[in-house]
Amino acid sequence: MRTDLKLPALAIVAVLMVGACSSGTPSSSPGGAASVAPGGSAPASAPASVAPSEAAAPTPEPAEACAQSQDPNAMQMWERSGGNKGMVDILVCAWNAANAAKPINLSYIVHTEMVAKIAQGVASGDVPDLMGMDLIYAPQFENADQLVDITDQTKDWPELADVSPGHKTVATFNDRLFGVPLYADVSALFYNKDLFTQAGLDPDKPPTSLAELRTYADAITKLGDDIKGYYLPGNCAGCNIFTVGPLMWASGATIEAEKCGSEPLVGDGVKQVAQWAREMVAAGNVPEGARAETGATFAEQFGSGKLGMMGTGNFNIVLARDQMKDHPFEFGISLLPGVEAGKYASFIGGDLVVIPKGSKRIDDALAFMHYLLTDESQVELYAKALNLTTRTDPKLTDNQYYAAEPLIADVAKALAVGRTPYTLTFFEQINSPQGPWLQMLQKAYYTDEDLDAVINKAKDDMKAISCT
Amino acid sequence: MYARPRSKLIGLLYLTPALVFVTAFTAYPFVQMVWLSFNNWTLITPPRFIGINNFTRALGDDQFWVSLGYTLEYTLLITPILMIGGYALALLVSPNTPLRRFTRAVIFIPVVIGLGVSSLLWVWLFDPRVGLINQALSDLGVIDEPIQWLGTDAWVSTWSIILSVVWKVLGFGMILFVAAIHAIPHEINEATMVDGASFWQRTRRVTIPLTSPTILLVTLISVIGSLLAFDQFYIMTAGQPFNQTATAVFYVYLNSFPYLKLGYGAALSLILALIILVFTIVQMSLTRRRRA
Repeated sequence: MRTDLKLPALAIVAVLMVGACSSGTPSSSPGGAASVAPGGSAPASAPASVAPSEAAAPTPEPAEACAQSQDPNAMQMWERSGGNKGMVDILVCAWNAANAAKPINLSYIVHTEMVAKIAQGVASGDVPDLMGMDLIYAPQFENADQLVDITDQTKDWPELADVSPGHKTVATFNDRLFGVPLYADVSALFYNKDLFTQAGLDPDKPPTSLAELRTYADAITKLGDDIKGYYLPGNCAGCNIFTVGPLMWASGATIEAEKCGSEPLVGDGVKQVAQWAREMVAAGNVPEGARAETGATFAEQFGSGKLGMMGTGNFNIVLARDQMKDHPFEFGISLLPGVEAGKYASFIGGDLVVIPKGSKRIDDALAFMHYLLTDESQVELYAKALNLTTRTDPKLTDNQYYAAEPLIADVAKALAVGRTPYTLTFFEQINSPQGPWLQMLQKAYYTDEDLDAVINKAKDDMKAISCT
Repeated sequence: MYARPRSKLIGLLYLTPALVFVTAFTAYPFVQMVWLSFNNWTLITPPRFIGINNFTRALGDDQFWVSLGYTLEYTLLITPILMIGGYALALLVSPNTPLRRFTRAVIFIPVVIGLGVSSLLWVWLFDPRVGLINQALSDLGVIDEPIQWLGTDAWVSTWSIILSVVWKVLGFGMILFVAAIHAIPHEINEATMVDGASFWQRTRRVTIPLTSPTILLVTLISVIGSLLAFDQFYIMTAGQPFNQTATAVFYVYLNSFPYLKLGYGAALSLILALIILVFTIVQMSLTRRRRA
């Protein structure tokens, strides 16, 4: 080869290798690069899912033995990893015990990779028989015609009349039903009654407006000793839509652009909440470490006993009780308030059970779906595990298990004021660590940039995303 | 003289395994990526040909160019450290004494650890609550409050990541440099010593010139590697704060997988590859010209 050809040839070979590597071949080099493999390692700072307790290890813990099955007749089920594991294990174990002839083999997928994994399964034709799906992503798959329409098979199920409205909204596309609730998470305001008392506040009167919340937070922060009034997760998009989103909704605002042409971040509440949060941070009411919160330690914060109030989810009740064994304190749960006193909102999250197109066990999957919705499952599986029932019928929520843990009844009130965002581009608009939602909030929390400019930039970005 | 057809065939047979490997794992994926870049494909819907739309969109995508600019900045910061640091270490440990061989091994150990694992290790070390680094600085009286090393200040985050990557990969360049130094004939060194050349004179006049092919190789690998940096940023900062530590490949990843825009991700990859191609050609040309 002539010398003058060697150089470009060598360079082209190098670039070919670079290009090929970026399609999935693992490599490591002195610059510290490695290729981008589909479904690569999960980050410590993963984009948090809707329920922020679900920050997961790169390799998910396997399902309980009773939720796995080597039976050749077993249905294959995928579910995202995270804090939902305990509840989903219980559901599948109970099904397997009652249906030995058609058991479920449950596999957990790292939650940050779940959508990509399903998409790869769809593209390659290798899909499970049924799966749990973060409800927020359901519209995207329904729109792509990748889920089995179960409208006709379920039209005679009386249980569907009172299923969680948030789940039902996202499970419905063009008036057709594509799934039923697997479990529900709602956000609410947790408050430490002991710290309320120490700060001279009435422990039975949680704040009813953002102004009150600020006043209470100031009083609690004054206690010192690293005690802070409130918690704002600074680096977690999912945690913020779960807990700050409701503050905006309760203040009359809307957040996401539902479809191309829709206006996002509408209403004065967006700026009012952003301003309120900025002042909370500036006043020292939020721990300094919250700025780096990626969702990994979000669910552990309230149970530390160092926070006066915090927006979090129902999953935090059991966790906080467990955490406080060596430093017991009394806590209460109220709803996340808005600017105007007495206005509240909540985020209804959780998962749906859906059947991907290509499933060979549609009838059996439907039987499992129906099983989850029965009165007995609602009480003896969901309520007994101190999880929310996925149906709102009062006869179900009035049970012995909730009676023994009154906080569940308090948090369940959030279902009545809750909502679930509906958009085909939820991850890009809201859940992405690089998305406009988190960027807007971070600039509100930690900079002095003009809030109108910050919000307008986020609006433009959300609108652009909704049209791609 | 020309080889006979039979010899050519045998030669081709010897090459076949490598050709098959390169075709299957380099050329084919590359062609696929080029094809993909002209399509809109979400994995869950069939690919749709959209011409050069992905490329025109990339040209107007501010975040991609911001990410690319940050990647170049990172490359400019880390490459001299890896090159000078690796070479300096190689000069120190190249003589074959037991202590120096042991030192080489110790410095090389992090190279065999996966980048993901080492990044997680450093996330723990930098943790403001339980991290060893803050604890050590606090015990020494250097700091009163824990420092947020990652995700809150772009400059601090960048240098924290650089520290972790230097720890991880410095030994790789060092080993290559040591091998290159060992390859210099003893007679040359002995001759310069007889002539009274000092250590620095020998290094400047003999060692560096005779190891320049290796210096070029390590520079190329380092620059390309830095331009493709992903794991450490994905794990340690996820682009925070304010997307200021988002690298170009991280942005490609976001588009390709979480956003399910494989065509757009492929177009961004090609643009990135083209930029690396230009860098590589310029770098090799400059080096060759200087040597000539």
